Amino acid sequence: MHELSIAMSLVELASERARRAGAARVTRLNLRIGALRGIEDESMRLAFEAARIDSPCGDAELRIENVPLRARCQDCGAEYDIEGAEWACSVCGSDGELLDGGDELQLASIEVEGEP
Amino acid sequence: MNIPVVTRVLEKNDAAAAENRDRFDRLGVVCVNLLGGAGCGKTALLESLLPRLKERFRLAVLEGDITTTLDAERIASLGIPAVQLTTQGGCHLTAAHVQKALASIDIENVDLLLIENVGNPICPANFALGEHFRIAVLSVSEGDDKPSKYPLLFRGTRLVVLSKLDLMPHVDFDVGRFQRDVHRVNPNVDLLETSARSGEGMDQLASWISRTVEQMSIRQCESACRS
Repeated sequence: MHELSIAMSLVELASERARRAGAARVTRLNLRIGALRGIEDESMRLAFEAARIDSPCGDAELRIENVPLRARCQDCGAEYDIEGAEWACSVCGSDGELLDGGDELQLASIEVEGEP
Repeated sequence: MNIPVVTRVLEKNDAAAAENRDRFDRLGVVCVNLLGGAGCGKTALLESLLPRLKERFRLAVLEGDITTTLDAERIASLGIPAVQLTTQGGCHLTAAHVQKALASIDIENVDLLLIENVGNPICPANFALGEHFRIAVLSVSEGDDKPSKYPLLFRGTRLVVLSKLDLMPHVDFDVGRFQRDVHRVNPNVDLLETSARSGEGMDQLASWISRTVEQMSIRQCESACRS
């Protein structure tokens, strides 16, 4: 459900940036979502489809780059991606400590076309 | 044409949260955002906690809910100013909700503003309200595997309260596993165990909050003096 308010903010931000660049339409949004955010790609896409109606993003494609959580092993020092609920070190199996990041919720770039 | 944006999607909410925060700092108000799933015991925790804090601080409570004013009525019956915020279907509070609700509170005469967010372990953690710190609540009946399922809830908080300790004999909750997983997600977080029903741990929680709020108040005074 929070995907909807995020999608509305996303459409607003992309539309505003397109207008500022003098473009009529947004054709693609490149969104980065960190795993900490608890945002599902499918819910995000559904919400985006609802939020983009009657906006310059009306026909835009939404590309999502998922940023994984990263951890550092407290024993062997290896840095690794956390997959699902598996938090143990992928090298030695010891406990890992979460590194910064994974909380991204960022519009990286947009593709635009047309005159306003 | 490709246009780099590199902007937080929730920048508007973040900006409104920063405005709230500035206002709190100017007025010497410390604001706490209380988060946790539906039925984890946030309101019961407040009911047990507020009488322990009200001699020390001038309190006010914002109660976030999807509909109904039940929670605000429970708090108001303790003689503490409470405002109900209904999101009308929204699963979380935003900084704009708080901004609006502040109009109904005598905020200049408040030391500690507690915001009980909408009961939901995922969405509210994404939206800053202008709080100085967060408290995350998880009840033993929700299960010990939640830190890895809802990492943002536990990552962004200064204190984790494990609630409903009185139910422990009836559930399979591995406290050791829970503590380990909480500290994996957030190595510096404090963890307290409480039961609003029996009162266990409630004095410790009240002291933790008092201590933290007082430290923040001192910091606010210092920066007010500097500016």
